[in-house]
Amino acid sequence: MRFDIDETLSDMLKAIRAVVKDNWSMVKDNANTYLQDRRLRLELLASLRISGEIEESFFRKRLKDEKKILESELHSIAIMSKAIAQRAANAALDVLDKAIGKVLKL
Amino acid sequence: MKKHLLLLPFSLMVIFLTACRVTLVPEYNARLEDEIARAAKANDKLYIDMLDATPERRSYDTYKEKYNDIESDINSIQLRNEARNRNEDFLKIIRNLKEGFSEAKNYHKERNLLKDGEIKAYQSTLSALWKPLYIAERSLKINTKK
Repeated sequence: MRFDIDETLSDMLKAIRAVVKDNWSMVKDNANTYLQDRRLRLELLASLRISGEIEESFFRKRLKDEKKILESELHSIAIMSKAIAQRAANAALDVLDKAIGKVLKL
Repeated sequence: MKKHLLLLPFSLMVIFLTACRVTLVPEYNARLEDEIARAAKANDKLYIDMLDATPERRSYDTYKEKYNDIESDINSIQLRNEARNRNEDFLKIIRNLKEGFSEAKNYHKERNLLKDGEIKAYQSTLSALWKPLYIAERSLKINTKK
């Protein structure tokens, strides 16, 4: 049996596309949740400040926390993206592994 | 003989590929996911209980033990993550959580009594610092699917 490199590469690409497509909504949905949460949190902080339930210095500290929250959210999105990339890369390697295995069996 | 020699690099490639797996993130850990969920819940409950109490019953001493339990849970989560490979992103998320929690704990310790508005603000901020850690751990599940 001949080892068809073009067909194998095409199958590898299909495997990558399938994995990324199936999982990309996970990143998108969580990024949207983070945005929505931020809006609600900022609304809460602003209303607490306007009603005088928190002092100006306390309010400013909580706004500084937003930088930390955003940094953590971006790291979690990086983890999600890397997890998807890992699955896609290994799916492509499995395709190559199987293609070579078929040739060697003959 | 010549045919066998030609097969050698091919066989080596197969052995290499069989052993080669791409690793960009730590392995999913169900126990860790559970530990994160429980600690985040305890942190949220700390503020729910505080809001429920009358202002004069919100002294730091009343909640000291709960604060210490949560702090020790965060340290345990950090330790487990330090022992994993590819942990850089996780450690940064945990560092931010630790700093946020520690600031909230010290504020209560210094002031002794917290106002409703301060409790609500800390509840919201701390919850937002826990969430990325939980979501990140859960996202690792995709690499356990066959």
